[in-house]
Amino acid sequence: MLHPVPGSTGAAPPLLSLEDFTVAFAQGAGRTRVVHGIDLTLQRGEALGIVGESGCGKSVTWLAALRLLGKRAVTTGRVLLNGRDLSGFSERELADVRGGRIGLIFQDPTSCLNPILRIGTQIGEALRLHRGLTGKAAEREALRLLDRVGIADAPRRLRQHAHELSGGMNQRVMIAIALAGEPDVLVADEPTTALDATIQAQILDLIRDIRRDTGMGLVLISHDLGVIADLCDRVAVMYAGRVVETAATQDLLGSPRHPYTRGLLAALPSLEGPRVRLTPVGGTVPSPDAMPPGCAFAPRCAYAEAHCGNGIPVLQPAGTGHLSACRRLDALMGEWQRQAAREAGRHDPVVQDLDWPNRDRQRELSA
Amino acid sequence: MTVQEGVLTKRRRRPLPPLGFIISLGFLTVVIFGAVFANVLPIDPLAQNIVDSLKPPSGSHWFGTDELGRDIMARVIFGARTSLVTAAGAVIIAALIGVPIGLVAGYFGGWRDTVLMRFIDVLLALPNILLAMALIAVLGRSQTAALIAVGVAGVPSFARIARAQVLTLRQLDFVSAVRGFGCSSSYIMFRTILPNILSPLMVQVIVLSSVAILLEAALAFLGVGVPPPTPSWGEMLRTGKSYLYEAPYYAVLPGLVLTLTILSFDTIGKQMSRALDPRSGGGTPGELERAGP
Amino acid sequence: MTGFILRRLAQLIPVLLIASFAIWAMIFAVPGGPVGMMVGENATPEEIAAATRKLGLDRPIPVQYFNWLTHAVTGDFGQSLHSRDPVTKLIGERLPATLQLALVSILVALVIGIPVAITGAVKEGSWVDRLLNGWNALALGVPTFWLGILLILLFSVELRWLPSASRYVPLWEDPNQALRSLILPGLTLGLYVSGILARFLKASLVSEARADYVRTARAKGVSERQIVGHHIMQNALLPFITIVGLMVANFIGGAVVTEAVFTYPGLGRLLIQAISTRDYPLIQGCIVVILVIYMAISLIVDILYAVIDPRIEYR
Ligand SMILES: Nc1ncnc2c1ncn2[C@@H]1O[C@H](COP(=O)(O)OP(=O)(O)O)[C@@H](O)[C@H]1O
Ligand code: SF4
Ligand SMILES: [Mg+2]
Repeated sequence: MLHPVPGSTGAAPPLLSLEDFTVAFAQGAGRTRVVHGIDLTLQRGEALGIVGESGCGKSVTWLAALRLLGKRAVTTGRVLLNGRDLSGFSERELADVRGGRIGLIFQDPTSCLNPILRIGTQIGEALRLHRGLTGKAAEREALRLLDRVGIADAPRRLRQHAHELSGGMNQRVMIAIALAGEPDVLVADEPTTALDATIQAQILDLIRDIRRDTGMGLVLISHDLGVIADLCDRVAVMYAGRVVETAATQDLLGSPRHPYTRGLLAALPSLEGPRVRLTPVGGTVPSPDAMPPGCAFAPRCAYAEAHCGNGIPVLQPAGTGHLSACRRLDALMGEWQRQAAREAGRHDPVVQDLDWPNRDRQRELSA
Repeated sequence: MTVQEGVLTKRRRRPLPPLGFIISLGFLTVVIFGAVFANVLPIDPLAQNIVDSLKPPSGSHWFGTDELGRDIMARVIFGARTSLVTAAGAVIIAALIGVPIGLVAGYFGGWRDTVLMRFIDVLLALPNILLAMALIAVLGRSQTAALIAVGVAGVPSFARIARAQVLTLRQLDFVSAVRGFGCSSSYIMFRTILPNILSPLMVQVIVLSSVAILLEAALAFLGVGVPPPTPSWGEMLRTGKSYLYEAPYYAVLPGLVLTLTILSFDTIGKQMSRALDPRSGGGTPGELERAGP
Repeated sequence: MTGFILRRLAQLIPVLLIASFAIWAMIFAVPGGPVGMMVGENATPEEIAAATRKLGLDRPIPVQYFNWLTHAVTGDFGQSLHSRDPVTKLIGERLPATLQLALVSILVALVIGIPVAITGAVKEGSWVDRLLNGWNALALGVPTFWLGILLILLFSVELRWLPSASRYVPLWEDPNQALRSLILPGLTLGLYVSGILARFLKASLVSEARADYVRTARAKGVSERQIVGHHIMQNALLPFITIVGLMVANFIGGAVVTEAVFTYPGLGRLLIQAISTRDYPLIQGCIVVILVIYMAISLIVDILYAVIDPRIEYR
């Protein structure tokens, strides 16, 4: 990618990268493509946020990259782990990567744990597979892991089942399972979406702590920019199966360069306030089999013009390490800069930039 | 929950080409035609001809002859009549008893539901065939007894399906609306709810026909069904079993017709329930209830 | 745990009461009623009166029923009208034969049903799956008695490998002879039960395979084989257990017919004989025993379920 990341060693390949990665699902005789060629890189120890509304292809991208979607999902492009293409990996090698090099946690922790196996058994399974630990050694390590993820009374918890623990605790257990393999990177897919606000914050703090201690990389997937802003060095915004903007977190929050990102930010109540799930812009993500021609965001975009429908916008530089895929990027950047200048002195330029509140804009569209 | 497909759930099941359905329909048409017009056909299931006993299939006797020299094909055709009449009568009895039980239990709930469903549980606790045999033990052996016995064995499935359907319907607006007009409970149950649950009940009629035919044949095979000399498939299998060495076709051919009839009803029932609820297709406890000996 | 079992037992009581009342009432179906059964058709009025008193029929109905019930509970169903032997003795002779047949059939059902279910689930939607579905439809749809006849024709009449009529030889006395007698009936009944087993186990496996925890296991690096064998199978067996009760009911029905096909001297044939000779005490005894076995199995299954599934509170 174009943006150098502080601390990366230059010559070494990135820890993980996706190159022109596409995912399609076999549907009857044909295929429906849901991810349309994306490029992403993650340097060792880096935290990358993936943001976008539900249905944008965030989960599918990462599950498909690890070939966790079964045979119905067909991928093209490359997934490189330390420069090696995962598509060449055997099932065995892949099993070592899953949980060993790349840990995963998901949205609904309670249903993600096997309901009839003890917590200890499920942690033990990962320890046996990736660290060869069994018996007493495994139990000791499992206790340490539960301790590490902040679960009190670990010896008792080991013998309990998922239904006896709260959602927050189960997510901690999921993190413990992910840590059991000592992975280089944790892919967290909406890890806090199913949890209460206070628990959310605790889980995010836990992830931050662990990263500080172990230097583990992070891919944090969320529909909530607020969650991502807290934790990530860099953010990629996805819309309808494509990356539409990517930048360092501060950069993206301070000067968003894509109408969709600006919409997401506008929907954010405030960076510190309660996080509510909002539709950033009127309308919904187009379904993969009914994609509009050209820019997929055009039907919802306040800045759309006729030529937005003529071909898909590509990512182009919009600042240092900043890319945006908008056909009107140059025009809009000028407009936004003038606006920012006008409002200089005010403390929060982005939120002031609400020149297309949802309801007004919808009225406009339907008129 | 969109992303969870694995090796085990590769593809949605595509609806089977309805070839089996068409074949089944064709076969049943022939069987029903035979049963209805058995009298008109130039055949006699009772004409004995001892000289011609246990003759293998030939031009004059397509299915061969039995131990009394009777034409097995003629007996199979008249057997279809016995079988279908018993099954139809049994299904009607089952529906007439089972559906009101299910309607009342589901509509009123409370103690009526508890009592009625306990009663259904008792019926279910006895295997179909035992229940039927016990009833025949009480009623004595006759075609009517067989019909009632098979019918009673089918009551639980109608009751359960009707009840389940009512429970979902009762919530819906149009039912509360009718109730709001001050209509009587029985009016609502039989005039408002019943017409709306007819299609699942129709599927059950087909499914239960298969069970009833099987059960009737099993009873006859055990020697407690429709008494001879009335031709019946189960009875033919029972007698044919004594001549396996001399005349294997005697038991095989009537059994084949019986089996094909049952499988045809199964296929049609499955197709119908799939048409009603595309998600069904695997096993459900309801389907297990219909399984017979 | 004890409380849980007691509660379950208590739930069975109404069912048992209704059923036992119905079974008791059967006695009145005998031509001439229970009295006629005792004194014969040409009895004098005095004999009838005496018999009525002896049978306690002059007492109120609830008392009569209660008397019968207390005897039945102690295993006393009276004498067979036919052989004059105690019903309990006759049943006792036949029960082991049926249990032995059940054992072999269950083995056959497991050996055929489980692989069919797993293969069908793993290859869901493929032609293999469709083939196995067809096989299952046959196992369930072909009448047991016709299948039995076909097997006799092949293995006894044509190949002459196995006897066409099965005797009861206790397995521990002469395993070889016992098995020769059991293979065909065991296969007949076992195939039928395998159809039920495979269909429901497969449905259960397929729905478990979609669960989130399966994705977690994959993401952990667990091999596909272990995911099916360990995670999915264990969870799939739980819902499966709940239909075992219904399965047993069908199993018993199948056993009655199978015993008739192979003239196997089990409980089912005893019942058929009792019905055709209108031997009511024997009929009552057989039905009660079968009902009790059925309920005992359902109860055990319920308890097992509560023990295996950590989510069920049974305290
Ligand atoms: N197993 C599947 N089969 C077909 N389509 C799928 C499947 N899983 C996801 N999709 C589709 O892929 C798109 C992206 O889904 P997803 O990655 O789950 O979105 P999100 O960004 O919310 O994580 C959606 O349109 C969804 O409908
Ligand atoms: S290309 Fe046009 S429609 Fe798409 S985001 Fe840019 S301005 Fe909006
Ligand atoms: Mg998602």
